[in-house]
Amino acid sequence: MNAVAPIAIRILAMLGLLLVNGVVLIYMLRKVLGRLHIRIGPNRVGPFGLLQTVADVVKLLTKEDLMPDSADKWLFWIAPFVVFVPSFLAYLPLAFGPNLAVTRLDTGLLFLLAVLSLIPIGVLMAGWASNSKWSLVGGMRAAGQQIAYEVPLLLSVLGPVMMAGSLDLSKIIEAQKNLWFVFPQFIAFIIYIIAAQADTQQTPFDMSEAESELITGFANEYGGMRFGFLFLAEFSNMFIVAALGTALFFGGWYLPFLADNPIALSLGPVIFIAKAYIGIFVMMWARGALPRIRVDQLLAFAWKALIPISLSWVVIWACIQRLVLVR
Amino acid sequence: MSEPRLDVHAQPGPCWSVPKGLRRVPKGLDELATEHLVLNMGPQHPSTHGVLHVLLELDGEEVQAAEASVGYLHRGIEKLAESRKYHQVGTLLDRSDYLAGLHTEAAFAMATERLAEIEVPRKAEWIRALTMELCRLASHYVWAGTYGMDAGAMAPFLYIMRDREMILDILEAITGGRMMFNYIRPGGVFADLPAGIDQPIRAFLSTFETYLAEMDALLGGNEIFQARMHGVGVISRETAMAFGLAGGTLRASGVDFDVRRDMPYAAYPELDFDVPVATGGDCWDRYVVRIEEMRQAARMIRQLVDGMPEGDFTAKVPKVLRPPAGEMYAAVESPRGELGIHIVSDGSATPYRMRVRSPAYYNLAICDEALAGSLIADAVVILGSLDIVLGEIDR
Amino acid sequence: MKIWGTGILKGFVITMRNWMRGPMTVQYPEQRLTLPERARWTVTQKFNEDGTTKCTGCLICEKECPDHIIRIEMSKLEDGTKHIDDYVYEVGACMMCGLCVAACPFDAIYMSHEYELATRHSADLSRVLLHDVDAYVKPKPKKEDEPDA
Repeated sequence: MNAVAPIAIRILAMLGLLLVNGVVLIYMLRKVLGRLHIRIGPNRVGPFGLLQTVADVVKLLTKEDLMPDSADKWLFWIAPFVVFVPSFLAYLPLAFGPNLAVTRLDTGLLFLLAVLSLIPIGVLMAGWASNSKWSLVGGMRAAGQQIAYEVPLLLSVLGPVMMAGSLDLSKIIEAQKNLWFVFPQFIAFIIYIIAAQADTQQTPFDMSEAESELITGFANEYGGMRFGFLFLAEFSNMFIVAALGTALFFGGWYLPFLADNPIALSLGPVIFIAKAYIGIFVMMWARGALPRIRVDQLLAFAWKALIPISLSWVVIWACIQRLVLVR
Repeated sequence: MSEPRLDVHAQPGPCWSVPKGLRRVPKGLDELATEHLVLNMGPQHPSTHGVLHVLLELDGEEVQAAEASVGYLHRGIEKLAESRKYHQVGTLLDRSDYLAGLHTEAAFAMATERLAEIEVPRKAEWIRALTMELCRLASHYVWAGTYGMDAGAMAPFLYIMRDREMILDILEAITGGRMMFNYIRPGGVFADLPAGIDQPIRAFLSTFETYLAEMDALLGGNEIFQARMHGVGVISRETAMAFGLAGGTLRASGVDFDVRRDMPYAAYPELDFDVPVATGGDCWDRYVVRIEEMRQAARMIRQLVDGMPEGDFTAKVPKVLRPPAGEMYAAVESPRGELGIHIVSDGSATPYRMRVRSPAYYNLAICDEALAGSLIADAVVILGSLDIVLGEIDR
Repeated sequence: MKIWGTGILKGFVITMRNWMRGPMTVQYPEQRLTLPERARWTVTQKFNEDGTTKCTGCLICEKECPDHIIRIEMSKLEDGTKHIDDYVYEVGACMMCGLCVAACPFDAIYMSHEYELATRHSADLSRVLLHDVDAYVKPKPKKEDEPDA
């Protein structure tokens, strides 16, 4: 019993963080996109529109649960979970503060990336099970895109891993006490943000839910809380890749020049989440400013440009680290 | 084009039954059978610019054949015009091409005037040209914004709305309406320009170039957008002329024809403007041509406001106009191309027949050919670059 | 040679610049735009200084309307004056073209600026602008040698 309680609390905290993230990020997206589009976002429901997400969630919960007659019932039912549960599991290895992680996994990074790569299966399931040609096109595109962009994502994180010497996210952050990894690993960082944007299906890489072509792509036939799960998973993924980028490149909870300051360390989680939100803001900014890349150009870009660059960077850094930096 | 590759209408039964051209190749157990997917794009679709229905036969993502089916917005405008008096037809034509209502009204007014031999005073011609160029800008703004949205960029759509509001406020002050103007009537225009109208027009022109340059940088300067437009939907010069295309679509394929310059009307013989022409015929050229047309329209508006003459705003026209029996055709350069109206009159107070030569109808006819061989995403971009308005296609 | 990617970065700069310009929203209903004088909305009657209608019941507006949404019911009183029983105006079907106002020879109707016409009751879609009034008759000019009658 005593062993279960702290774990249960941590998992509940993780769930709480996920839900709060979802609520805050949906509001933030609508406001940020609104301001970039010279209009105000939601501002009627509650002061400054803060209760808008609450209203949306209530709306989704009270909607009729529709399933197309010819849809594959089991796959249709389970697809939102296959999309949502991995992004819930990906919170496990994230370390928000010096001793603040749900659990310390020695292969935390590997676990996180492995779990994220389960999401395309769910998207494909959703697209196929809807038994609608439009959803199918969206699901196929998502499958191709996410599989293609997983590889540069994995390769670009190898740079920080080599510098830190460990796959444990807490150790990687601790290795950035003196220098954030973004400076030596700038190329890996650029590849990471491009691959992260693609993996979370944000514009310019949102071919799978291209709103002006497929309406909502693979999620066309989903309504009510099923759609809510898919939607929540999308925002949760955004936070995860942003948090991962903070952990790998921007020093996690360390502030520059204040690495040993006890106050700064106790504010670790706040700093970490603030950095992650800045990253999310940049992702939303790209969403508001850029058009969509066509699916064949997207895949060509991944296979012909990103993967060779990230592979060569891994080799180059390995040489640099082994021959130059190791004394 | 020989016989259509999609044989849907030759089938008995509902139009959504499986077309004959569906290729089904059953093979052995170790080889996969493939078939082409027939997809209905529209009539409800975020990117078909109205209620357009395009049947796409897809092999994966590649379009093998396309067929546009129109008629979802047919309201019987040409038939209704047969029971309206000549000054009432403008209310119908506003709704035909709802983004270029003034141009359609002007074409009808010009046809009636030529038939009834009414001479329009010079000031009325200048007012017509001014309002038509403002309307052209408003229509091109909508094209640019929706084109960006088709490609995925949502920001330009809101930016053009800001500029379009300024134009619509000016047009509301002049005509009384923001979209259904009912302003250009046979004989001239309905009312004189209100006093002080040059203030808002000059205010608009002062910010026009900045905002247009920003939008051009956001759309045309963006490498992603360029990659989506270059080499997509190429229409050769011969095809363009064979299909009877018009407007920016025609000029982007290398044909130098503009009704304002080649069959002049209104104040255009006295104005100084260039007609942009490109030679590639792909979506990028159509984009560039239209953006340059917007700049030329602003140039013309400046000349029109600076040189507006004094005089009558309309000729003396009887309350119920009865043109002599005969027929007449008049064409204007609407934002989409050569918009012509053909009137047959039998001497009575209502037209015997009114036919609208709508440029978007002929521009759309090319989509069957232009879409074949492209991807779905390209199909959306090509339809956007043709600048179609379903109101005037279906009437 | 332009570096690939500068266009994308410029797009970021332009969107941020537009953010800084502030929203262009007019928050209806707290803020409203002023309509220009010529804006055409509902057809409304004009009245004389003493409150009588200017409408003479000539029925020109009824004939001019392209959609036939004005219906005027007239009657004659015992002493021969024209009487307007009902001037029915289907505001729900009106397209606000202004042809009736342009045609009225007595300047008895005008296009008002009333645009907030949304309603939950279908009875509001049809208005009776005049009910049970005498048609306006222009008073004859008095001759010089006639006494005040």
